[in-house]
Amino acid sequence: MKRIFETGNAAICEGAILAGCRLFAGYPITPATEIAENMSRRLPEEDGFYLQAEDEIAALHICNGASLGGLKAMTATSGPGYILFADAFGWALSSEIPVVIVNSQRVGPVSGITGAPGQGEFYLSRYLAHGGNYETIVLAPASVQEAFLLTVRAFYLAERFRTPVTILADQMVTDGWETLLLPETAEDIEEMDLIFYDRQVHPGPDFYPPTDDIDIPPVVLGHNTGGACSDWTPTLKGHDTEDIELHHQHAWRLIHKILNHRELIDDAEEWEVDDAEIILVAYGTPSRVVKSAVSEGRLQGLRIGGIRLISLWPFQDKLFQRKASYLVVELNWDGQLVREVERAARANSVHFWGRCGELPTVKELLLTTQQILEGKTISREAWKTVRWSHV
Amino acid sequence: MSELTTKYLRAEKARGTSCRGCGLRPAHHKVLEAIDRSGLTLADIVWGTGIGCSGRQTYATWKGDTFAGTHGRVYAMATGLRLALPPEKKIILTVGDGDAYTIGLQHLLNCARRNVGVTVVVLDNLGYQSTGGQYSITTPEGSVTDSSPRGTWEQNWAGQGLDVLNIVKEAGATFIARHTVLEGDAPVSSIAQALQNPGFSLVQIVYPCVSHFGVQTLGTRSVPEVYKWFESYPLSTGILWNSIGSRPEFSEAFRQQNNNIKNRKQDV
Repeated sequence: MKRIFETGNAAICEGAILAGCRLFAGYPITPATEIAENMSRRLPEEDGFYLQAEDEIAALHICNGASLGGLKAMTATSGPGYILFADAFGWALSSEIPVVIVNSQRVGPVSGITGAPGQGEFYLSRYLAHGGNYETIVLAPASVQEAFLLTVRAFYLAERFRTPVTILADQMVTDGWETLLLPETAEDIEEMDLIFYDRQVHPGPDFYPPTDDIDIPPVVLGHNTGGACSDWTPTLKGHDTEDIELHHQHAWRLIHKILNHRELIDDAEEWEVDDAEIILVAYGTPSRVVKSAVSEGRLQGLRIGGIRLISLWPFQDKLFQRKASYLVVELNWDGQLVREVERAARANSVHFWGRCGELPTVKELLLTTQQILEGKTISREAWKTVRWSHV
Repeated sequence: MSELTTKYLRAEKARGTSCRGCGLRPAHHKVLEAIDRSGLTLADIVWGTGIGCSGRQTYATWKGDTFAGTHGRVYAMATGLRLALPPEKKIILTVGDGDAYTIGLQHLLNCARRNVGVTVVVLDNLGYQSTGGQYSITTPEGSVTDSSPRGTWEQNWAGQGLDVLNIVKEAGATFIARHTVLEGDAPVSSIAQALQNPGFSLVQIVYPCVSHFGVQTLGTRSVPEVYKWFESYPLSTGILWNSIGSRPEFSEAFRQQNNNIKNRKQDV
């Protein structure tokens, strides 16, 4: 095992290259620029291609085209570039072509603040394509090491599910420096539980069957299979159609190939939840403060637990069925993850602790926890939040 | 069905979607003729399309490998695809005037700049016709359309004063031609030359939309009358630029560059 001191940006690049990524197209943007820089250095060494695209619209479309030709491809950006991915994301999703997308979230809305962490694209990552009728896979690393591991997993899932997979990181994960272990031998790879999936070629000429099956290879052009692939609603041959019955089949496949195999996707970490009266919920960097708050709270005698979401979408409702209060901690002021937790947690009381651009402290989270447990109004400095529900 | 249709097109899509009297199908078939004349087979070509009349007419008609991209972005997709495909595979993109010259211009120009090995065939029907007939950047000046009820007044790029193909040339395209669909063999010959260009080629084939442009602008749905007007529509046609071989093709240059980097690394 190689042990180095690196950023999340570099970790993502190493994960991508290990997983077989051989094309990166991107447009530099803080705080994801170093992913492009690292790929420009690393890819030529692996006979891969680094392209600086004219914009993010082109960046993801170049990746889509490369993947359509059989190359594993990745792009990376932050909010202002992420919104420009929408067009190409929808194409890859509806054409069912694998690709990996990294979004290092910064402070929004829009250009906002470049060099500070935010979590404003929780819902956008779920709904980046217009038109609905789909499910999508989003993974959220909380450390440099995990950025590496989840990038490998993103490529694996993209291939098996023939779909774009999004890595929703934040500025602290990608810009942050931490110890990074990189495998050097087959034993290392086994020890790290890394799994890979080579690109397969759809035999054609028919398109994907109307089933929820995964491991059906994506269309790859250039093998003279008569493959046809587009973002139109497809016939069974992949031709464009306006037939609503065929659209039902298409939408069903897009949704259920993911929902019916979610055991391959679902991932979370839970701390001290079994007897918890209150469970703190977070993903990405804030989850590290939550973890400390749970340890510290337990030392103080609080029945506090924590949940860290590692896969965000499809949303893991099953994690929120315990009878407890939930406090959702996010790097935004508007509350995004909390809406989904409240939907999933149903009758339980769900609260929100939000801030953007900087992390909460353990002390702040424990103060709020105390207030909730004592049934008091949650307060902190000038900002007040009440129970999240619109009572 | 013609011999070319049987040879190259999927039977269930061969009839196409274009209206009676439209030049789209004849223009599409000129591409097939050029392929045939070049001795290329189904296995030699990957065929991509955009959206609109041209995309809907041509997507998945090709019996070989085929794809449709999002509106205006197939040039970026083709850039990635080019790197993934072996150099001997040809990429043909059939797109509309809106796709190439307005919504996709940024990507078209960068594809030309890189001299990506693709043949872009712009099927120019003088406006946005699949949405019912609105003006585009190639609509003749002063035209009454559904979105210019008092006649177009903005400067166009239609070769009447300003010509978008000058921009494409300056961007770095290595072969550019423009023809009308009425020119018989000339467009076929130009497309055949384009297919021999390892780098970026663009061939524009112009024809008038009878159903919308004819009715709204010319006041007639009569095919002969529309084409009578079209015969005297001033356009500079022919091979407008040929610098084939003057610059390396993108994917070849890219592989060379990667090899150089690896060799240098070994030297160190």
